[in-house]
Amino acid sequence: MKVQRRLSPAVAAPAVALLSWSTRAGAELLSGRPEDVSLDGHLGDRLFDLTTVMVGGLFLLMVTVLLVVAIFHRDRPGRAAWYFHGRGKRSLLVTAAFCGTVFLSVDGTLLVNSFEDLNEHFWKWPTDARTVKVEVAAQQWGWNFRYAGPDGKFNTDDDILTFNEMTVPVDTPVFVKLKSKDVIHSFYLPNFRIKQDAIPNALTQMWFQAKKTGDFEIGCAQHCGVNHYKMRGLLHVVSPRDFTDWQKVETADSSRRYDTADTTAHWGWDWES
Amino acid sequence: MNESHGLAHDEHDPIHPAPTGFLRKYVFSEDHKVIAKQFIWLGLSFLLVGGTMAMMIRWQLANPGVPFPLIGRVVFSKSGGLISPAAYTSLFTMHGTIMIFWAITPIMIGGFGNFCIPLLIGARDMVFPKLNMFSFWMMFLATVILVVSFFVPMGAGAAGWTAYPTISTQMGTPGWGQTLWVVAIYFAGGSSIMGAVNYITTVIVLRAPGMGYFKMPLTVWGLWLTAILNALFIPVLAAGMLLLFLDRTFGTHFFVNGMAIKGGGDPILYQHLFWIFGHPEVYILILPVWGVVSDLTSFFARKPAFGYRVTALAMVAVCVLSAVVYGHHMYATGMSPLLGQGFMVLTMIISVPATVLFFNWLATLWRGKLQLKVPMLFTLGVVFVFGLGGLTGLYLADIPQDLYLHDTYFVVGHFHLTMAAAVFLGSFASIYFWFPKMFGRQMNPLLGKLHFVFSFIPLNLVFCGMLEVGFGGMQRRLYDPNVYGTFKHLLPVNRFISYSAFTLFFGQLFFVVNFFHSVFAGKRAEQNPWGVGTLEWANTTSPPPHHNYDVVPQVVNGPHEFNHPDVKDKDWLGQAEPLPDGADEKAASE
Repeated sequence: MKVQRRLSPAVAAPAVALLSWSTRAGAELLSGRPEDVSLDGHLGDRLFDLTTVMVGGLFLLMVTVLLVVAIFHRDRPGRAAWYFHGRGKRSLLVTAAFCGTVFLSVDGTLLVNSFEDLNEHFWKWPTDARTVKVEVAAQQWGWNFRYAGPDGKFNTDDDILTFNEMTVPVDTPVFVKLKSKDVIHSFYLPNFRIKQDAIPNALTQMWFQAKKTGDFEIGCAQHCGVNHYKMRGLLHVVSPRDFTDWQKVETADSSRRYDTADTTAHWGWDWES
Repeated sequence: MNESHGLAHDEHDPIHPAPTGFLRKYVFSEDHKVIAKQFIWLGLSFLLVGGTMAMMIRWQLANPGVPFPLIGRVVFSKSGGLISPAAYTSLFTMHGTIMIFWAITPIMIGGFGNFCIPLLIGARDMVFPKLNMFSFWMMFLATVILVVSFFVPMGAGAAGWTAYPTISTQMGTPGWGQTLWVVAIYFAGGSSIMGAVNYITTVIVLRAPGMGYFKMPLTVWGLWLTAILNALFIPVLAAGMLLLFLDRTFGTHFFVNGMAIKGGGDPILYQHLFWIFGHPEVYILILPVWGVVSDLTSFFARKPAFGYRVTALAMVAVCVLSAVVYGHHMYATGMSPLLGQGFMVLTMIISVPATVLFFNWLATLWRGKLQLKVPMLFTLGVVFVFGLGGLTGLYLADIPQDLYLHDTYFVVGHFHLTMAAAVFLGSFASIYFWFPKMFGRQMNPLLGKLHFVFSFIPLNLVFCGMLEVGFGGMQRRLYDPNVYGTFKHLLPVNRFISYSAFTLFFGQLFFVVNFFHSVFAGKRAEQNPWGVGTLEWANTTSPPPHHNYDVVPQVVNGPHEFNHPDVKDKDWLGQAEPLPDGADEKAASE
């Protein structure tokens, strides 16, 4: 029977369609991350991509070996299996060399990069005088925000208090300290690649800096009850001038609402505590 | 069969006499083979329950707000078949709990631990047969409590399978359901400890003469190490559960505190207790499968296992390290930077023994003579999915990446690939492999292969899909992710995962049909259908008699002697089978 050498259009057309579809689908999947609008978010993304290249290589190696043995080392008449226990010095050396190389190159690369990212960025708490400080009290199911107000002190009558909406200036460090009123929540900013648990009896902290104005979502990442999925807040990133204006309006508003007797509303704490 | 006389046992004495009545034979049995089957039945039943719950979760994520078809109107009768947010929280809580403690644990540890340990080391039963029976019946008690918890007012536990306080205290999940959950876990843990004590001791004192530790099949190594981890770490879980129980029922405040709640406790203390147990737990679940994979790669490649001792020692290394990496579950709790970095380094070190295992498995397969029979297909499947699962762990071990990925579906995809997919395929590899020895009948290989295809492909689609939505940032345990604009575009991926999951679920029908048909009407199995040299295949019948071995075998070889140059008539050599006269004894020991 004659082998058909040229691809018929009946085969080629669906093949091309499939290829272009899978390319588009692949590109879609790779772009699945939310937009990164933070100063340091690219660090995690970069490490993610680097990890993907490294573990992708290892995975391909493993799959290649599996395919080779499953296809070429199958039980066929005349095929002999190698009688080999791999327990000599040489086998041990090869194993150690392979595993050592993988560890030092893959894990080593990750560790070195991560230490730097953590100590120089994620855990290097902002000292900039412009830093906006925010206290967050999480509760079932929403976020309470507290800004110090003109006196720079927390838990005083000029504090700005908001619920589920947080406003911060662009290109300015934002330092957040968190507590929880009831159960454990987790303050999650997908567009900033960062999250931090809010815990009932402990003070936790995180910081971020936006490099773009706009509205972004705040999520809760820790199961906190039936309405966990509804615990969505909004982060408004505005220009520094808009932020100053917003502060003025909010201060006036919050001061007007201030009630000495309403002790539950005075949940703030001394920033340095 | 080997005629040399065993020394560890009285020659014709079983550990306990064969029972005669129905109750003592099949219900309150002390025979490890019967108890193994009891555990496997329990595990498979709850695999179905947990799997059905997974389908409900996937249904909600694919079609939010659409009533669950078929059984929905019965299960969610109050809401007309609709899965409510409260029911959803119970579903993911009980799905995790059931799959871990009522499916994997009974099948791999209770079932195959019981079946394999005495048989593979040449013992006539466990060293404490009565304790073994109690272990099953304590698990049964735990099961009753768990089942009851579904029918109490306010429903079953709903604090997630990790039950972090304060959501797991009365203020977060009021009612009896969560309390019964705590009690059920406590008793299931008790059952595991009883089993563990038995397994550890049996391996130490009842190995057949000549069966040194480094002559045991790697399956026994895996099960033995699992038992050791169980004995060490379940008590830590039990402590956490006890304190949580006191907090829930007696108003103590071990874990209760908060801005709006009175109490002097510490919710994070619970997380330490839970993960000191919880991280070893993932190795408790996977070690038996690692053992089985290490053996079956050799058995079906007809080639000695590469680096047998190194494989065993790598598993030991994993056990030791498993105790000091648990902090990576708590990166987001704001632990001190020093502690966080320490746990990050330790976690990455565990990749060394894991790499060794993969290297040895692949080296075992290399230049073998692969028989792609059903157990082998599932074994290769384990290597593939555990490879994916292990490698994705690297992202999560790394704190800068975990800040983003923590508590997203990336984590869900990762631990399902390691714990669920790998253990699922490994359990079925074990079932297909030891079925002839258990029931004396063969399973149908064609149905087995179909079962493999309909398990392996959907499993990967489901859990890789989860990695993808996690990469997109979607959190776990969201009743309806579309509340967030950021995740709306992931709905098609979520649908794709769900439809793959439904395929996986219904693909199990191939197994159900095959299993029941083969138990009652399968072809009679030979003594050694796979041509393997371990004691249970080479030295006793299928199924074995009540006392396992008429004569306790004298072990002379390792478990993986295939294609030995001095053995001419067959390609395997029994563990208790001396080499033919004149053969070079050194060849086998080199």
